[in-house]
Amino acid sequence: MLSELLQGTDTGAVLIIQDSCSYSGQHLLKSFISAALNKLHFHSAYTDPLGWTNRSAFTVHQFCVEELTHLLKQTSHPKPVTLVIDSLSWILRHMSPPAVCKSLQQLKKGGAVRAVIGLLHADMHQRGTVGSVCHLATSVITVAPGTKGDEAVAKITKRSKLGKVTQDEEIFSIKGDFSVTVVSKTSHAGRRQTEPEEQQMDPTANLTFNIRLSDTEREAKEKLALPFVFSKEKKTALLQSGPGSGRILYEPDANDDYDQEDPDDDLDV
Amino acid sequence: MFTELNSILNATPDSFTQGEFILVSDRQSDASFLIHHFLSFYLRARCKVCFLGLVQSFSHYSAISQRLGVSLTQAREKGQLIFLEGLKESLSILIPQETTTGSQAMDFLRDPTVGLQRLYEFVRSSVSSDGGGEEGVEEWGPPVLLVDDVSVLLSLGVSAGAALDFSHYCRATVCSQLQGNIVMLVRCHGEEAEDDGSDEGSEWLLKGLTHQCSLTLHVQGLPTGYCRDIHGQVCVYVDANFLIQTEHIRDTDLLIIQVFRFS
Repeated sequence: MLSELLQGTDTGAVLIIQDSCSYSGQHLLKSFISAALNKLHFHSAYTDPLGWTNRSAFTVHQFCVEELTHLLKQTSHPKPVTLVIDSLSWILRHMSPPAVCKSLQQLKKGGAVRAVIGLLHADMHQRGTVGSVCHLATSVITVAPGTKGDEAVAKITKRSKLGKVTQDEEIFSIKGDFSVTVVSKTSHAGRRQTEPEEQQMDPTANLTFNIRLSDTEREAKEKLALPFVFSKEKKTALLQSGPGSGRILYEPDANDDYDQEDPDDDLDV
Repeated sequence: MFTELNSILNATPDSFTQGEFILVSDRQSDASFLIHHFLSFYLRARCKVCFLGLVQSFSHYSAISQRLGVSLTQAREKGQLIFLEGLKESLSILIPQETTTGSQAMDFLRDPTVGLQRLYEFVRSSVSSDGGGEEGVEEWGPPVLLVDDVSVLLSLGVSAGAALDFSHYCRATVCSQLQGNIVMLVRCHGEEAEDDGSDEGSEWLLKGLTHQCSLTLHVQGLPTGYCRDIHGQVCVYVDANFLIQTEHIRDTDLLIIQVFRFS
């Protein structure tokens, strides 16, 4: 599904890439950009987003539909464009989440913008904010680090216009030229759960000594009577003295009655 | 200077990656030795260094750098090092006198809600070259910004969002525009909290800076506990992908032994 999303987004689509500190979604965003290169125009809000140096082309407070449409009209592109936002977290830090959601929803309805792709740092915001923004999106890709070095796991949720939701999980890696290779697909979460069990190492596999039993050895082992496991016969034989063995007679002696806590035997307790 | 650290980062004073934002962070540990390392490293590389020393005085850094073989007083006189002595400047703001002029850099102490725009302007004027060659003025290499440390701004009343804006602007100017480097120190207290992102404390600031930076050096104690010979470990993260796990720091590798206290 990742490759389908990379190929092209439908009109009115909003795609959100969610990342965290452990894996940056910037590379995947760049892959989307390079895949859609013929339909993009670059607007830099990077150098001066808050207007500190008075040299800004676009400030963060201009993120609303009217200003964006005005900015996009200036590029005089005949077709509607794909708007890539790097990153939505920046905007969410300076503008209230309802305002951002409203702008995204209005952009989604179409007009100057054909599709919106945004990068969101999920660990920088409250869960409610992240949830609201992702609810607006038609597709959400959550990236996380994978087991191997250069691989990452992408959980994709796609909502079609008819309301059908498809979820997918893929392992991908991004090469130097920002092309994405999907390494494997895992379509059901259940299948993933059995995989770790199968992959569990057999601890008796590579030993230098032999711990397996042959059949004769197993038989002998099962026949063996353990020394302190008493069967009934053995118990009675031990408890009753046999003929000829000595008998032990014991009479309690005063010296044997030694109390550790009262050695002189003079406490009146 | 730590030659092993240099070899891990593939950097020597003669050749290092430009345009890098290096984040040094620690948790219940003291990573300031890395700041001293980078200070002497970049001065040796003949870069123009702007140092925001917000937690210690100039003489403190000067004494340590002397042991590392670099003279800060000389660098300051030659114009290679621009040092903002945060402690001294803050005193002149808190106790204003007629004779003190000072820069406006620490103005955020008067009203922390204003943000760090003045501090950024101080940085920008320090790192941009004076344009045109005066006679006798040496040509320095790419500019470098060192901040020790960013989390003290939080305790001075500046919001974490303002600190992130400041680092964003510094990155845009120093790294992207002037192809210089930035090294910032962030200190976290306590355990890594699984908070919702609503608490705008040092953990949130660390997350935000991690997203912005290209290289993270995280210093912490050994996970197995206290050890006499090995003080801790430094985890190096490149682009949030784990590069090398540990560089165990032993007493003998360091030239500064008395400053270096891992708990």
